[in-house]
Amino acid sequence: MTDNSPRLPQGGRIDRSRVLRFTFNDRAYQGFEGDTLASALLANGVHLIGRSFKYHRPRGVFSAGVEEPGALVELEGDDASGNRPVTTVRLTDGLVARSVNCWPSPKFDLGAATQLVARMLPAGFYYKTFMWPDWRIFEPAIRRAAGMAGAPAKPPETGRFETRNAHTDVLVAGAGPAGLMAAYVAAKAGARVLLADDRAEPGGSLLDRRLTVNGGPAGDWAATLWADLAEMSEVTVLRDTTVWAYREHNLLILNQRNPDRPGLIERTWRVRAKQTVLATGATERMMVFPGNDRPGVMLASGVQAYLNRYAVRPGKRAVILTNNDSAYQAAADMGAAGIELAAIIDTREAVSDACREQVPGVEIWAGAHVVDTLGRQRLTGVVTSQITTPIPCDLLAVSGGWSPNVHLHSQARGTLRWDPDSVAFVPEATVQPSHSAGAANGQLTLPEALASGAAQGVAAAEAAGFTPNPPPLPAAEEAPYTVEPFWAPPKMKPGAKAFVDLQNDVTAADIALALREGYDSVEHVKRYTTGGMGLDQGKTGNVNIIGLVAHAQGRAVGDVGTTTFRSPYTPVSFGSLAGQREGSVVLPYRHTPLTDWNHAQGAFMYEAGARWRRPGYFPRDGETFQETVNREALAVREGVGVYDGSPLGTFELKGRDTDRFLDLIYTNTFSTLKDGAGRYGIMLSEDGLILDDGVSFRLGQSRWLMSTSTGHADAVHHHMERLRRYDRPDWHVQVTNVTSQWANATVCGPKARDVMQALGTDLDLSREALPFMHLAEGMVAGLLARVIRVSFTGEISFEINVRPRDLPTLWERILEAGAPFGIQPVGSEANHVLRVEKGFLSLGHEVDGTVDPFDLGMGWIVSKKKPDFIGKRAMEIRRSAGGPRWELVGLLPEDVQDSIPEGAPLTPDGAKVPSEGFVSACVFSVVHNRWVALGLLQDGRARIGHGAHVRLRDRVIGVQVVAPCFHDPDGERLRG
Amino acid sequence: MIYEVRIGRLPMSALFSLQGASEAIGSWAESVLPAFPTMPNTVTEMDARQLLWLGAETWLLRAPIEQEETLLADLRPTEASEDISIVCVSDALVFWRIEGDEADQIIAIGSPLDVHPRVFPDTAATWTECFGQRALVQRVRGGFDLAVDRSYAPMFDDYLARITA
Repeated sequence: MTDNSPRLPQGGRIDRSRVLRFTFNDRAYQGFEGDTLASALLANGVHLIGRSFKYHRPRGVFSAGVEEPGALVELEGDDASGNRPVTTVRLTDGLVARSVNCWPSPKFDLGAATQLVARMLPAGFYYKTFMWPDWRIFEPAIRRAAGMAGAPAKPPETGRFETRNAHTDVLVAGAGPAGLMAAYVAAKAGARVLLADDRAEPGGSLLDRRLTVNGGPAGDWAATLWADLAEMSEVTVLRDTTVWAYREHNLLILNQRNPDRPGLIERTWRVRAKQTVLATGATERMMVFPGNDRPGVMLASGVQAYLNRYAVRPGKRAVILTNNDSAYQAAADMGAAGIELAAIIDTREAVSDACREQVPGVEIWAGAHVVDTLGRQRLTGVVTSQITTPIPCDLLAVSGGWSPNVHLHSQARGTLRWDPDSVAFVPEATVQPSHSAGAANGQLTLPEALASGAAQGVAAAEAAGFTPNPPPLPAAEEAPYTVEPFWAPPKMKPGAKAFVDLQNDVTAADIALALREGYDSVEHVKRYTTGGMGLDQGKTGNVNIIGLVAHAQGRAVGDVGTTTFRSPYTPVSFGSLAGQREGSVVLPYRHTPLTDWNHAQGAFMYEAGARWRRPGYFPRDGETFQETVNREALAVREGVGVYDGSPLGTFELKGRDTDRFLDLIYTNTFSTLKDGAGRYGIMLSEDGLILDDGVSFRLGQSRWLMSTSTGHADAVHHHMERLRRYDRPDWHVQVTNVTSQWANATVCGPKARDVMQALGTDLDLSREALPFMHLAEGMVAGLLARVIRVSFTGEISFEINVRPRDLPTLWERILEAGAPFGIQPVGSEANHVLRVEKGFLSLGHEVDGTVDPFDLGMGWIVSKKKPDFIGKRAMEIRRSAGGPRWELVGLLPEDVQDSIPEGAPLTPDGAKVPSEGFVSACVFSVVHNRWVALGLLQDGRARIGHGAHVRLRDRVIGVQVVAPCFHDPDGERLRG
Repeated sequence: MIYEVRIGRLPMSALFSLQGASEAIGSWAESVLPAFPTMPNTVTEMDARQLLWLGAETWLLRAPIEQEETLLADLRPTEASEDISIVCVSDALVFWRIEGDEADQIIAIGSPLDVHPRVFPDTAATWTECFGQRALVQRVRGGFDLAVDRSYAPMFDDYLARITA
């Protein structure tokens, strides 16, 4: 490389022995191991990265870190992802990147025509312009025009994501000087420490600057300390890991890139920490002046990082614009790297000798500012307030002061205060056990950061129960830091584009417009202008916006306050959030012991409540869906069927107070039942609405078996646990969930008893010996079983409960014994038909969380004798208020072949008016050979015999209102 | 396998849920049970029978499946006094053994439980959440036993295969 090459001949923390090839906008380039895409592009002389979001103005590299607002790319191939700041993309061999927001290229972008009408596109223009006749007409075009890169079309072809949990005594966020010291002190005290840093290499800003610790390069000190920490058994060190969220109870969430495991792309850590040390550093602010977005305008700290860390010179001739001392260090580094320093423009009236001594011979203009920049796609010069002649330059390094990265502190609900000395918001009070340290706490110089880190490490370790013995502080020096606010030039030309947010193209004029239009809260200003939104969340510009608001309103900056800091601190991939929850486990699923058999039979399986995957139906060759369902339903009505009822919630209750416990949770009385007898019951929630329905059987003295619906089994379990542990702790009731201890095959239909006899049993299954709603225990098909006479189909049924390990055997024997009777396995769809024909309730259909038993015509199940049951008072109060209620009815479409979508609204005369009910279920009845439905209809019972109307999107269906039972209303068949 | 672990399903265990005052259960069970643990969320063991203290007046007896019939006969669940509840739940849980130097990492991926030896020592056992479901974690020599409701077992097989592939 020549002397004119942007890549310096030596230095930096790159590995020049490893050349990496990459492609940007279809052109091939080379970089080195240790480069970011930004440093590699700059090293290749590429300064134009893409176009801006709104005006399609040229955008170049502005920073060297996560704060990058403008230089976004889309990655392709294995790394496919959109809107990646080039400063955070680690260079890898074969990387393929492309500009965003431009077509066909960033150099010639047709979208740049937007700049011609820029004056017509002020903040909030679309709120004002596209309201009539309908925003949705314009929305697609606006979204296409304004969007950035799209999401990748496909997930990564190789590799996967992972989420995991961790616990620690002290979590340290950030491995700069303060974080390293804090972690070291806490670890030496014996605490479990987790230290996470968002860069590939520890050291934070030490890597970007030429500082010394203990007389040696500061970066070496950081590397040594990190290595020492990594050796400690109770310490976890994570590089390339961002602490991006601080939740309640000291739960912090981390995103780890490139975990050291083969095949892992990213990992999310959920860390529960006793104490946290937030050593997240500070971010340099941009400065506001016309043309401050031109490629070649960079943060001074960014320039410093490219020089010292990546050995890249981002320009040949530079001007520095600053309002603080730190830029002089950067200027000194630039000079040392061979960049010609044209001038330093300092907005302060006085510049200290300490600053001047760092840049001997460099012209310093105090009390000046930049009024414009020159160039099209790259900076060629700046115009200052002092002389009208432009200063030729290809690099303008700006430093508007430093903002402590208080994001995590604020997410933890800690408060902030405005510090006029450092011209920044700094942490004030904490709410959770956290400690801010170093630059994140406003201690911006290296000696301050080291001392602060050690002190907060001591505090955190002590609070976590350890006794730290901190080592002496390492020796370090750095010039003091002073700063004066400079929010914007005092005068700017009308139409000047002085940006406060480079990502969203928000200008100082937009802020002023928002204030003029009455958006006088900083939160409103943010939402109206979009300033501070987006991927970078305004890390470099937010304080400038706040300063401008304060200046315009004549208020103190601290009184204006900040907008809310929300997670994530930096963008997080969806893959990382999902972790291992993808593909077949993206949703939980449960199997019964018959799942394999069902699959082997070709059953159509789906989730049927509470994550159970059940057979919907068992299709035969040539059958349509409806034909299959009809066949299965007809088998139960006319012959015999069998279904797997294992998912029903099942509980064993025991204890001397169980009788009155059941009387309390059901609306009807159970305590009077004899051994072996059971009863159907309804449970209400405290608000007097139906929680669940089911049956309970007395097994013996103080011992019961409860069966609940499948879908609400967990809810009922929680209900009972809360009741017995908190509401009635003096009652002696034990509840054991035996849902998975019992499995059942239910034989149902007119020939069910014949099949039972064919199976072989020592039980007397006659109507007299084992009547409806009774159970008996004995041998069935050679297996120990509990047989229960219940019916969810309206036909005589025998629920044969066995141990799950025995269910496959039982099932095979049932099918074998039932074959002469034409037995058929029955899926959920046919069961649904059977229960609708019978008018049995289904949770999620008729029981939708708004009804009580009276609404369903089941007032008979509400005891008038019991002094109390759960939900009684609420139900009585509500019903005593009177007024119409939606009540359960049957519905017969006028056209027998008309099916009605479940959930369809019932409206008066089918008009487009508020509904008076809805269709809860509609099935083809094999008994009536027509479609029948159930629904909730206002004053429904009084309207039986009359008509009603279902309103669909495209038509109205007339229905006759009938009683909500279409089959065997007296229940003779199920009692048979 | 990206983690240094060995994972395998265990044979069924004989399991009994025990609820009630320890004195009452002990009195009923006499010498059938190991001594009751003195610390919550710990395990005691006697003749391959383990007694896990898992909640207020709640224990789980775990033994080889071959002992199930004997235990049923000895514990007589249906005859126990109304003060205590003894329910056989052998079919309700499926167990895996996770062994190896990085067994704790598998638990960390699935569960928020802190299994640091200082917090979750050799005799520890507890209900927790794993892969979004209620699960039992018990420390054993060289690793952990993980148990979950039988209905979720295929999903757990799926998860464990995914995270270690």
